[in-house]
Amino acid sequence: MIDLAQSIVDGVLFGTTYAVIGIGFTLIFGVMHKINMSFAAASIAGAYSGLLVFLLWKTAPPIVVFATSAALAGLIGYAIYLLCFRFIPIASPLATLMSTVGMLLLVDEIIVHLTAGMPLSYPAIYDGYPIELGQLILRVDLLLVFLVCLVAMAVLLYLLYRTRLGIATRAVAQQPVAAQLCGIRLTQVNAITFVMTGTLGGIAGAMIGASVGVLSPLLSLPLTVKGLIVTVIGGLGSIPGAIVAGLLVGAFENVFQMWRGVTERDMYVMLLLFAFLVFRPGGLFRIAGARD
Amino acid sequence: MLALDGIAKHFGGIRAVDDLALTVAKGEILGLIGPNGSGKSTTVNLICGLYPVTAGRITLDGRDITDLPTHRRLSEGIARTFQNIRLFGGLTVWQNLWVAQNAPAHRKERGYLARWLGGSKQAREETGRLLDFAGLAHRKDELAANLAFGEQRRLELARALATRPSLLLLDEPAAGMNAEEIAALDERIRELKRQGYTIVLIEHHMELVMAVSDRVCVLNFGRKIAEGTAAEVQADPAVRQAYLGTA
Repeated sequence: MIDLAQSIVDGVLFGTTYAVIGIGFTLIFGVMHKINMSFAAASIAGAYSGLLVFLLWKTAPPIVVFATSAALAGLIGYAIYLLCFRFIPIASPLATLMSTVGMLLLVDEIIVHLTAGMPLSYPAIYDGYPIELGQLILRVDLLLVFLVCLVAMAVLLYLLYRTRLGIATRAVAQQPVAAQLCGIRLTQVNAITFVMTGTLGGIAGAMIGASVGVLSPLLSLPLTVKGLIVTVIGGLGSIPGAIVAGLLVGAFENVFQMWRGVTERDMYVMLLLFAFLVFRPGGLFRIAGARD
Repeated sequence: MLALDGIAKHFGGIRAVDDLALTVAKGEILGLIGPNGSGKSTTVNLICGLYPVTAGRITLDGRDITDLPTHRRLSEGIARTFQNIRLFGGLTVWQNLWVAQNAPAHRKERGYLARWLGGSKQAREETGRLLDFAGLAHRKDELAANLAFGEQRRLELARALATRPSLLLLDEPAAGMNAEEIAALDERIRELKRQGYTIVLIEHHMELVMAVSDRVCVLNFGRKIAEGTAAEVQADPAVRQAYLGTA
């Protein structure tokens, strides 16, 4: 029983990274009405790019690596916008799907090429002792990952709901034609959305690297799948849905990892996806009318 | 002020608008009427840049705006409302107005940071005036999607005004309104004219068009078939034929 509770706690804490990745997918879908398949791979690439700091500064503290990861991931997000969306005919439903799948593979190839396919160690966010709460053990590094992701989400929600930039972004998501006639530049808002979600993804990627301890190109495909699952379970286009679904998927996979082992756990996550697609295709938070 | 010079829009083989010439003088209300499918809405879409023209030129105050993208026409002073309302349903009433304050003058008034993050006191006052004009001050924190139909039409008009236009394109503003609401709309359009706006009014509700328009232009099959005062147009046999099918 205590094992179960322990797995759920660890899973929920780590699940915030899935929530952040899910928000990225959902936000881009909200604004572009297109799936960006390369988002999770770009987030991992962002985490990798943070390691570039060590080329200039051998003893850089982890926080500098994380911040660089986030910033460069924003840049990667912009590059993906330019390559996969800006000049691709948006009316064709398949074109951007193809371009972003291509980008996913390209990003992975670049990582494999540059690192010779070897995992690289990533700085930990904390390497002290865990906190003991009765029989429960709280991993401080996961707790910090949880807090960082929470802050990142809070900042994003503030931007989206309280600032002109965010409100313009939501206006574009809801009514692109009218938004243009209100003087809002679609290409500018779209580009900013990609930079914002890219940065967010970089934070998630850095936090994943920090809690796993290594970065490997093998991380990006499972993360892509989990990001998509979170988006489906939460309801495509719903930010609160992505948050709840992220925590849920985190807990779910960790429980199955405990029961069935790490090699089997992702199969059960997939089954969860199918269960949702059959019984609740709109996701937890169905917002069919308002795309927001 | 606005001049359309031989503009045309062809969708494949369909000539939605064909060799149309039209001018609107400053401070004037031009009524644009015609049977369904006569090219009225297409004309408005061409003026505000939602479709590129197949041929012809559009000038505003002598400047050629034919190739300007939609969001740039706003800085030239063009704003519109839609036949099928297109509000930002998930934003509140005042956010709908706030987000539309993108005229060049607005950008200058805001500092660079405020342009992205917040608004100025001036902008809030301006929003307040528009809310009063639209009679929506008491509903300013309501989501636009939750407004009644008539309120949504008023909000859309206020949102168009929030962009500080000089030329307003109203696409069937009376559609779906009852007599009382139309009377209020009539008064509101006259008030806008007094304030100096130039207006192109597309409308099926003839009484309203004939009452407020300085000049009426009649389209049929994408071409202009008559133009003149309300009385002249009503007496024109070509117009009667277009609407009734007989001379």
